[in-house]
Amino acid sequence: MVKRIGVYVCECGNNIADNVDIDKIIKTFSRMRNVGIVEKHRLLCSEDGKEFLKQSIKQHGLTHLVVAACSPKQHEQTFMNVCTAAGLNPYLFQMTNIREQVAWVTQDKEEATDKAIREIAAAIARVAYQEALEKRDIDVSPNVLVIGGGIAGIRATRVLASPNRKVHLVEKSSSLGGKVKGFDKLFTKMESGPALIDNELSSVKGDENVEIFTDSEVEQILGFFGNFEIKVVNKATSEARDLNVGAVVLATGFDLMNLEGLPRYGYGKLEDVYTSLEFEEMCVPGGPTGGNILLKNGKPPRSVAIIHCVGREDKGYCSKVCCVYSLKFARMLKDKLPGVKASQLYSDLCVPGKVYQRFYEETKGLGVEFIRAEKTDVTRNGQGITVSYESKSGPKGDLAADMVILVPAMEPANDTHRFGEMLGIPVDSEGFLAQEHQKLAPVASSVEGVFVVGCAQGPKSILESIVQSEAAAGKILSALVPGRKLELEVKTSEISETFCTGCKTCISVCPYSAISFDDFRNIAVVNEALCHGCGVCAAACPSGAARVKNFAFTQIYQEVEAILR
Amino acid sequence: MTDIRKGASLPADGGAQKGIIDFATQALRQGAVDAVLIPRRVTAGDSFAYFLIRDEAFLKEASPLPPIMPVQGARVISSITGYGRSKTRIAAIMRPCEARATIELAKLSQVDLEYVTIITMDCPGVIPLSDYFEGAGEGDKLFEDASQNWSSEPMRPVCRICDMFSASGGQDIHIGTLGTRNGSIMFTANSPKGEDLLNRLGMSAEEDISGWETRVNKLIDERKKERKQNNDALRAEIEGIDKLAQAFSTCINCHNCMRVCPICYCRQCHFDSDNMKFGFEDYLTRAEARGGLRIPTDSLLFHIGRMLHMSLSCVSCGMCEDACPTDIPVSQIFTLVGDRNQEAFSYVPGRSVDETLPLTTFEEDEFQEVEQSYAAVSAGQENYNDQGIEVRQGRKR
Repeated sequence: MVKRIGVYVCECGNNIADNVDIDKIIKTFSRMRNVGIVEKHRLLCSEDGKEFLKQSIKQHGLTHLVVAACSPKQHEQTFMNVCTAAGLNPYLFQMTNIREQVAWVTQDKEEATDKAIREIAAAIARVAYQEALEKRDIDVSPNVLVIGGGIAGIRATRVLASPNRKVHLVEKSSSLGGKVKGFDKLFTKMESGPALIDNELSSVKGDENVEIFTDSEVEQILGFFGNFEIKVVNKATSEARDLNVGAVVLATGFDLMNLEGLPRYGYGKLEDVYTSLEFEEMCVPGGPTGGNILLKNGKPPRSVAIIHCVGREDKGYCSKVCCVYSLKFARMLKDKLPGVKASQLYSDLCVPGKVYQRFYEETKGLGVEFIRAEKTDVTRNGQGITVSYESKSGPKGDLAADMVILVPAMEPANDTHRFGEMLGIPVDSEGFLAQEHQKLAPVASSVEGVFVVGCAQGPKSILESIVQSEAAAGKILSALVPGRKLELEVKTSEISETFCTGCKTCISVCPYSAISFDDFRNIAVVNEALCHGCGVCAAACPSGAARVKNFAFTQIYQEVEAILR
Repeated sequence: MTDIRKGASLPADGGAQKGIIDFATQALRQGAVDAVLIPRRVTAGDSFAYFLIRDEAFLKEASPLPPIMPVQGARVISSITGYGRSKTRIAAIMRPCEARATIELAKLSQVDLEYVTIITMDCPGVIPLSDYFEGAGEGDKLFEDASQNWSSEPMRPVCRICDMFSASGGQDIHIGTLGTRNGSIMFTANSPKGEDLLNRLGMSAEEDISGWETRVNKLIDERKKERKQNNDALRAEIEGIDKLAQAFSTCINCHNCMRVCPICYCRQCHFDSDNMKFGFEDYLTRAEARGGLRIPTDSLLFHIGRMLHMSLSCVSCGMCEDACPTDIPVSQIFTLVGDRNQEAFSYVPGRSVDETLPLTTFEEDEFQEVEQSYAAVSAGQENYNDQGIEVRQGRKR
């Protein structure tokens, strides 16, 4: 086919014209093979300029177009639209930047002109080898996958579910409600946790727009914002379900630190030494002790020591909510056992803000003892327990107690890193899922369309978790509008069946999991709906079986050859 | 070292080769393996090839250490197992560099090792193909005399500087032959699969192998020195694009080096593909720009491309140099480049199938020296990044 490449140089007012000899450019290229016409214009992006370009394409019967102007970031789309209007496939157009990268970076007009000529030569060389491509779009899925059926996940589900938006809520345990449903009282209002959860759940359960999966694991998340392909497997029945959603909310919560590595606290060896969650369980009316606070011997404790910051030094971070819930524990003790002696052994108290500080003052007023203690050791002493401690200011001390409640550090739930790996979301040095930006994108992750809320990203109070869930829901509601089309990447990768030798290197490097392996044909296959055209596979494939449309070897080679000529 | 490593020994009165054949015969006879893959003299008697042997009678004429390497064993295993698996258990008896190349191909899914037990031996090297074929029957004696006293002199240039001639990784069983006493050879299992095979043959590791290890390590040290000397001397000759172009100036574009390379596993080489075929106008434009154009074009680009594609996995086997009709020291050049590239990634090709290929593993804090910040450089702090943290060189494992 005869090529008639049109080359259009924009003066950009004086921006380019002042520092680049455009007439020399026109002279250089006007006799070049394959080049049909070389022209300049005062301002190609103006209405007048676009009309001029459109008419020129038609009039000269151009088969390819090169525009030398500003950054493609600014006007590539503008000129692609002109191509479409003029009946030229917009992928047979190449834009080259002679403003930011040429005119604006030097005062030497001669050098600038030389560089502009090289850039344009490269664009001409490449555009001749570009192929006509067609745009594709798909409907966005307005649906959302929420992983984790605790308070954060339930709230996100509640806000998001609507008649035109289905929410799939996946919980790995057998029931919804997470940790909160096991908290008899919540700080600072001392309201009931189970009641709060029941209230939240009442609007979720029975909502036909919510599908709840319990005993289930998410085994696969592929795709991107607007189009994620999900596989959920029921652990009890091994039944698998494929879902298509537009966004994912990770609300995988926390676990308490394992105390096996901290034998000094006597946990697991000494009777009547509990973790905070075990104490919570004891206080729930439906719990093993019927909601009564009892020692192993069946009697109520006369004295209880609450040890803060267990494992904080090992973890290297503060778990943020423990001080306040430890105060809550003292209240619960005083409430159920009015005569009990409650002692708080803390190293630093974090009770900031208008609500918590008052809560602290009130708790102190109930006769709760506060001891600033470090290096706490828990040992058995006959019938009772001795808590020995050192103190920064005061002397060493021993405290006798019937019961000890340990307040261990919070850590990410054990499958958190699995989701990080599955989605390519980095975990921070503490093992929590990283936010995209601590201040500016606090619930977004590094993967567009995937949000991280609640304790999955670090210790949080119930309030903070709910705020985050609502923030993520807001982001999703404003972006995933039902009926909106999602434009797919046009310049995707394709793998030649003839040349693929099945080494799977491309699969191991694809950041979008867009390549799968066809065992029968022994070749790698690209899923075009998932491919972003990043080109990593093409770079990694030694035989060139993987290529990205319009970034294929020939196009790049011709471009480089021309620019170095 | 926590304890002294031990090996199993077998008598080899008739020499190491005979001992290895006896071992393979036993393995086949006792049903410990279903087939043996081993080099053997071709029927015409003038060369060697790999044979997949089911009948032990065929093993009599086997030659576990042939004087030449006409085909790289990794390619042989790839052609057997690369296209569909079988549960036939194969004992593949090959040289250490062939085993290492096999491991690299396994990482690239070109080899299925599940039913393959790789057995290597101490390798004295091989003599260049041309020397063997031109030597009019002298080749066998030349090799035998040299390998008797571990003289590397007539061997391939890369064999002379090979420091991985012994149990260098990838094998399930290694057979120590270097200076073993009383005509016995020493078997060490380097994997559970290897251990299993030795157990099935009732061979227990009772012999102290420290003497053999000492001899091997001594030779490794000598070879490392020679390797460095050779690399340094070669580097002075070929470094820089002009010298490199000169080193490859006699290349006739036959691409033999790629065809015999065990690592070049592509179905079609990029440099043989349509990607490297251009229209007349392209040639004309290039000729116009330069005044004249050498055709075929891009012959140096082929070699640089191959370095880029395979040097991290290069096991310095020497096949390429043997196959070069114009005597370009291809293998020595690739050894130099390979050594430097592999060192940058702390990567030893063929050491273990569990190690991933360096270019497919991303590590955030590697090669910070090539991400030098302008600010740090202009402040004279070439070794510091934007945050004032000292940068790390290469990749550490």
